[in-house]
Amino acid sequence: MSHPTVKELESDSLQSLSQAQVGCDFQIQFVEGPACEQLRNLGFCESLQVRKLANGRNLVCSVCGTRVALSSDLADQVKVSPLAPALS
Amino acid sequence: MEDSTDLVALAGNPNSGKTTLFNALTGSAAKVGNYAGVTVDIKRGETRTPHGAVLEIIDLPGTYSLEGGSPDQQIAREVLSGKHDRVPRPSLVICVLDASNLERHLQLALEVIELEIPIVIALNMVDLAEKTGIRLDPVKLAEELGVPVVPMQADKGKGIVELKQAMRHPFPAAPDEIGWEKGDAESRRAFGLSTSDLSARRPTAHTSTLSDKLDRVLLHPVWGWFFFIGIFFALFWSIFSWAGIPMGWIESAQEFLIGKVEGLMSEGDFRDLITQGILGGVGAVVIFLPQILMLFFFIGLLESSGYMSRAAFLMDGFMAKVGLSGKAFLPLLSSFACAIPGVMATRTIDSAKERLVTIFVAPWMSCSARLPVYLLLVPMLLGGREGGAKQALFFLGIYVLGTLTAFAVARILRGRLGPDEVESHFMLELPPYRLPQWNYIFRHVLDRGWAFLRKAGTTILGIMILLWAATTYPKLDSEDPGEVLSHTIVGRISDTIEPLVKPMGFDGRTGTAILTSFAAREVFVGSMAQLFQIEESDDEDETRGRIRDRLAAETWADGKPMFTMPAVLALLIFYIYALQCLPTSAVVAREAGSWKWAVGQFVFMTVFAAVAALLVYQVGTFFSS
Repeated sequence: MSHPTVKELESDSLQSLSQAQVGCDFQIQFVEGPACEQLRNLGFCESLQVRKLANGRNLVCSVCGTRVALSSDLADQVKVSPLAPALS
Repeated sequence: MEDSTDLVALAGNPNSGKTTLFNALTGSAAKVGNYAGVTVDIKRGETRTPHGAVLEIIDLPGTYSLEGGSPDQQIAREVLSGKHDRVPRPSLVICVLDASNLERHLQLALEVIELEIPIVIALNMVDLAEKTGIRLDPVKLAEELGVPVVPMQADKGKGIVELKQAMRHPFPAAPDEIGWEKGDAESRRAFGLSTSDLSARRPTAHTSTLSDKLDRVLLHPVWGWFFFIGIFFALFWSIFSWAGIPMGWIESAQEFLIGKVEGLMSEGDFRDLITQGILGGVGAVVIFLPQILMLFFFIGLLESSGYMSRAAFLMDGFMAKVGLSGKAFLPLLSSFACAIPGVMATRTIDSAKERLVTIFVAPWMSCSARLPVYLLLVPMLLGGREGGAKQALFFLGIYVLGTLTAFAVARILRGRLGPDEVESHFMLELPPYRLPQWNYIFRHVLDRGWAFLRKAGTTILGIMILLWAATTYPKLDSEDPGEVLSHTIVGRISDTIEPLVKPMGFDGRTGTAILTSFAAREVFVGSMAQLFQIEESDDEDETRGRIRDRLAAETWADGKPMFTMPAVLALLIFYIYALQCLPTSAVVAREAGSWKWAVGQFVFMTVFAAVAALLVYQVGTFFSS
């Protein structure tokens, strides 16, 4: 999976997982930061879908069918964009 | 059979069901739980293939990746790459993957394939995956990876035979070609994602599962805490109110045996040894077996259902205030049952310093061995009978006090140790809620019960016999029991230590009972029964009730009551804080990597306990006089 271009990164639709809205589905665009390998091992990989389930000091999200709790500073390292609403 | 000792390693992500599979293959009852990090050490067992060949199976701690990680993950990495000093390189690896979470679990399998060891994929939990709507295609997966794939449900025993078939000689060779660039994490990850998309296609719509709905309540900032406190209160309440019935049975059996021995033997020292020393002393401890079994049962229930990680999640904010993380909560919680598995479980903590601090404070979580002491003393404070909500609340208070002190000390210690070299963050998998695996819970509870009885039959029995001898010899020809006792060895020890323990409100005999309990805490109750010469009688009255009555009537030489409220409180406080468990110190020394930590911990906790007891007694006496 190729990384998004700089232009894409700067697009308005990109936000960190910690800022993302609860209850919505997102697509992971890229993971960057000191803990990115750890995050990828837990399933936070580029192009995968993630649903944010709860906010707080630690937020809860669902990725690859697993619920994962992670601290907000970790969630800051995951950049997501909202999934296009279903066509129907 | 030259190949009879082939080594087979079970590897996989945390909570993928490796230990369940290990138990199913080897017929053992290793501890399983529904949270990441139950297995922190290598477990060994044996199994037979359908052809009769014996294979040695090792269960490795769960790991997400072979690169980086906490101590338990390092073990897995070293074994698989043949760098472990005690374990040879395995001849075959069974990689256990959770079918409902293939995107993530497959990454580890790909890393293992790169090591060029023969590998079989155990595609576990296929039922769960299908329930969530995933369309599984194990054949496609096997084709893509070039290794055998066995779909299975280890907890129901499905697929075990097929797996054993795949484990026969010759072991499946590592694939000649791999579909990604070896050693390149990015290429490997992309391959893993496309393969799982092909062989385990997810439904496009995100469905809200039962676990999602439960989590909405159980992880709620307000309701979550409501349930958290409710669950733990119910746990303590049921332990203290339901155990009464089986305890009565044990008591009747004990009284029956004493009656029998007294009927069969003529009066003399030997009969006293059996009735007072062995049956009286050991019986006073064995009576707590039901409570201990219930504590292990409830903790097993919490672990198996998946609630444990929710509790860790809730506690993380609180734990952060004392410099620990939610991950430290799991070892601390299991220390309520016993500090030894608790200290071992600290291996899942990534930060080395946080781990040391957690090890240091873990014995302050009131373990099951303290229960007998609490059960003896608490009704003395509240007056009257055992059981009821008031006592359950008091018990909860005892556990909270131990925990809060542990947190306070952790905070101070964590501040002194300084920050970690590598920053670590809170990250925890919240597994789906599952129905408990009853057979494992019951086997685990029985194992613990048996361990407790073994301890009662060895350590506690030994101490009881020694104590009986020390309270009997040397003999003195006198009618006054007090004079006789003070002539014996224990009498002399008591006289020596009385000045030391008197400021805490204890006399020499209580001091001696405390001394004997440094070998094992539970001994205290039996020692008190012997030292205060509690007569065993044939009626149905409760022995503990008699110990309490006897203690309540006990006075100092000047006629003042001995076991006043401050004195009993001081005794209770001493037992909450003192570290009186040699096996714990041995495990701490091993896990912390130095005896200095174990000795320091022992000295610190003992001094702390003594000072706290002293303060409680002195302040309490000052205010009550």
